[in-house]
Amino acid sequence: MKALARVLPIMAVVLIALAIMACAPAAQPTAAPPTAAPQPTAVPPTTAPQPTTAPQPTSAPAQPTQAPSGGATDMDALYQAAKAEGMLTTIALPHDWCNYGGVIDGFKKKYPGITVNELNPDAGSGDEIEAIKANKDNKGPQAPDVVDVGFAFGDSGKADGLFMPYKVATWNDIPDSAKDPDGYWYGDYYGVMSFMVNSDVIKNPPQDWADLLKPEYKSAVGMSGDPRTSNQAIQTVQGAALAMGGTVADPTKGLEFFAQMNQAGNLVPLIANNASVAKGETPIRITWDYNALAGRDSMNGNPKVDVIVPKSGRIAGVYVQAISAYAPHPNAAKLWMEYLYSDEGQLIWLAPPGYCHPIRQDAMDKAGKIPADLKAKLPSTEGAVFPSNADLIAGKDVVVKNWDKVVGADIKSGQ
Amino acid sequence: MAQAAVAPPKTSSDLIARFGGIPLAWVGVLPFFLFALLFLVLPSLSLFTGSFTAADGNFTLQNILDLSRPDIVSAYTLSIQISVVTAVLGALFGFFIAYALVMTGVPGPVRTSMVTACGVASNFAGVPLAFAFVAALGRTGFITQFLRDTFNYNIYDHGFNLYSFLGLSLTYLYFQFPLMVLVMMPALEGLKREWREASQNLGASSFQYWRYVALPILMPSILGTMILLFGNAFGAYATAYALTGGRLQLVTIQIGAQIRGDVLHNPGLGYAMALGMVVIMAVSILAYTWLQRRAARWLQ
Amino acid sequence: MKRSTVWGWFWVILGVLYLVIPLWGAFDFSLRAERDVIGFAAYARAFADDDFWRTFIFSNQMALISIVISVLLIVLTAYWVQLKLPQLRPIVEFITLLPFVIPAIILVFGYIKLYSRPLAVGPISLLPPLTNTDFSTNILLVAGYVVLALPYMYRSVDNGLRAIDVRTLTEAAQSLGANWITIMFRIIMPNLRAALLSGALLTFAIVVGELTIATFLGRPAFGPYLQLLGQHKAYEPAALSIASFLLTWGAMILIYFVTRGTETQTTGAH
Repeated sequence: MKALARVLPIMAVVLIALAIMACAPAAQPTAAPPTAAPQPTAVPPTTAPQPTTAPQPTSAPAQPTQAPSGGATDMDALYQAAKAEGMLTTIALPHDWCNYGGVIDGFKKKYPGITVNELNPDAGSGDEIEAIKANKDNKGPQAPDVVDVGFAFGDSGKADGLFMPYKVATWNDIPDSAKDPDGYWYGDYYGVMSFMVNSDVIKNPPQDWADLLKPEYKSAVGMSGDPRTSNQAIQTVQGAALAMGGTVADPTKGLEFFAQMNQAGNLVPLIANNASVAKGETPIRITWDYNALAGRDSMNGNPKVDVIVPKSGRIAGVYVQAISAYAPHPNAAKLWMEYLYSDEGQLIWLAPPGYCHPIRQDAMDKAGKIPADLKAKLPSTEGAVFPSNADLIAGKDVVVKNWDKVVGADIKSGQ
Repeated sequence: MAQAAVAPPKTSSDLIARFGGIPLAWVGVLPFFLFALLFLVLPSLSLFTGSFTAADGNFTLQNILDLSRPDIVSAYTLSIQISVVTAVLGALFGFFIAYALVMTGVPGPVRTSMVTACGVASNFAGVPLAFAFVAALGRTGFITQFLRDTFNYNIYDHGFNLYSFLGLSLTYLYFQFPLMVLVMMPALEGLKREWREASQNLGASSFQYWRYVALPILMPSILGTMILLFGNAFGAYATAYALTGGRLQLVTIQIGAQIRGDVLHNPGLGYAMALGMVVIMAVSILAYTWLQRRAARWLQ
Repeated sequence: MKRSTVWGWFWVILGVLYLVIPLWGAFDFSLRAERDVIGFAAYARAFADDDFWRTFIFSNQMALISIVISVLLIVLTAYWVQLKLPQLRPIVEFITLLPFVIPAIILVFGYIKLYSRPLAVGPISLLPPLTNTDFSTNILLVAGYVVLALPYMYRSVDNGLRAIDVRTLTEAAQSLGANWITIMFRIIMPNLRAALLSGALLTFAIVVGELTIATFLGRPAFGPYLQLLGQHKAYEPAALSIASFLLTWGAMILIYFVTRGTETQTTGAH
């Protein structure tokens, strides 16, 4: 039939395309979720048995799996259990951020047999939390096993029942102020707010916050995010506040500082990134020191970049790790955590191109585990303030509510 | 709304009535509604329910009430302003280009290249587009530098600023006018040459042809495409954020902040704002339908 | 004719300038990846990556499938509304404009929440969870793309339908004994060539550049790849955006020629 003859080519195209799709080697093999009890190859003889049977909840969140804190974790059994699961799904881990690329490679090398499925490297902390919530019933590869979120999300995630508690072998090395006592979340690395300066364009780099107001830096300064949404930008304001005599919890002085900068014409509204620094549009970018250092290295002298930690107003930003309460691969998640907090993992974050201060830095330093040349590569962060959760949240409220009023000119037309 | 009776056809069409009885008439749109239900409406229900949910999970009307906050109202105003401005300007510019491609003697390869380039440009947005404009018109942009070095004219000294409403409009236009070109071309190609010849034979001038023949025919398409352009700009987010983040208060940026932000926020408010956007789109459809009827009457 | 050709060129050149100038800025910047050297180092690095081609081809495949499904769905609907149910037009148009105001992230999270469980009516399971295999997740991906392309495809097709006399064509065909499939595929669609082409090009561009849905569904698409690479590098993102612009343009020219093909008109409408 003529009509059929017309339809056939279209159907053929669709079928062929579908066939290609179905037969294409799957980039990430979707591991079927472990049915009932995965067979552990080595039942740990130690007292607290590793719960290899990950409870598959339909409604109730996973039973808290208490690994002995700071004690003998049977890594072999954990590895076998993780291998049985076959996959780890991460989210929001850009390869250039703290050298996560190197961390993931190291993990794959040390623990072969576990595919690392990386979701959305560009996600913000809010996205990660939403992803956990949306994937509560989903055991497919879209559900994140582990998250790396801003400090403030630790407590809120725990309160919402989104995290599964777990204490890594090196738990005791993590400072108390940077972890949840019950093990629901724990700090992983920190950095200090710094200035990333394109020294081909700016001949005389600023050394402190107050310098940024100087007329020689007209139309030169850019922030790394929108202060109404980005953690980095909000902590930028809080850092300025510290330098101007304010506090993290009440950064009004920081807002006034940026208002002054805006009035003087020094602040460029563009969201600064490495490209805009290289172009010279925002030759001074305020960002975490690890971003600035990694960016400097990747630009390889083109242009020349100086990374300066301001003399006053040093604010440290801590990020936290957590395992999703609905993780489809809880054992792989735990293995990942053990790796991150092992000496090997912590040093990968520290070494270039990571440049992040690992949370165990002090403890490892005392034990002499940090090579001197590595330490030399990082700028001094003496006197950096580690704000508490309560202060961060209070300060965030002030910034978000008042940024437009105090700093922003309401752009109506032309301006 | 749920009238089963089909509007009486203008021309006699017993044949159609024989095949398309009253209930059967809905069969044709069933796939669409089913698809829209499964893949558009149901997944977005959380938008609706979320609008009435407070941060602690309880039912609340506070989110909706919050929409009347001055900063949110000004966000809507600004979003509507930029959408209208770029829709109108984009429609004009795009129309003329589409006209040039269809109805004048531009050679085939030029036409092919232009149409396909418009296709790519219509979706070129976000950080790459923002950066391209920065590279062209930013303070260190090559146009800025060219004008400064060659004509000693610094546009920034004379009030121009890329990081402003004007700059963002220029950037939005980059994807607005190509969209107009692409979507108007089928309509312009439908203008039969015979009509133009007939009107010339009757002694009508070019202006009269357009005023009395071409524009009335094209008006529904033009208006419909302008609504498309409006919606396109209204929902845009990434470009505005990249170019003017922290400065321009657009609704989409606010929604992004509430739902996706890096800092704890109130997603319920974000959903309520998105619901507000849905309402605005509905209102603009009504306005466009009314405008179309008016225009048809006026142009007759 | 002469005067109109001059005007024609004027507008085309203006349009070309507007399109090219910002691109030139990015292109110029991308050539400066090495200090004091104008060269294609950034491009070499970009193209050497296997993932670049893998994700680009994947997105192309998805785009083609999305186009076919979108065309079938929209032409049927727009035709039906135009011919039989004009009173439904505002509702249909409203639905087609919804994708503009529903953030893609809500859409994709909605898909995950809805389709990660089996779709069941009572005890009968109609559909298994769609998020568990690559193939079924691709179905969700294509559905998402079709939704995103809805406004553009509908408007193009609607404009095209208005330009042809749908009623007369349908009546004539029916009086000659044609059934609906014949009318749709041999009468209406050929007359909509230009509209379908516009819609196809727009859909293609959307799919290749799309970010949110692909990343949260975990599919290896081109958009997320570009985003990942562009994150922290300075020169590669500019090189990549120019490269993807050119590649997408090339693919579109192919689509153009396939669709335009032989300009046979089946009825005397032109």
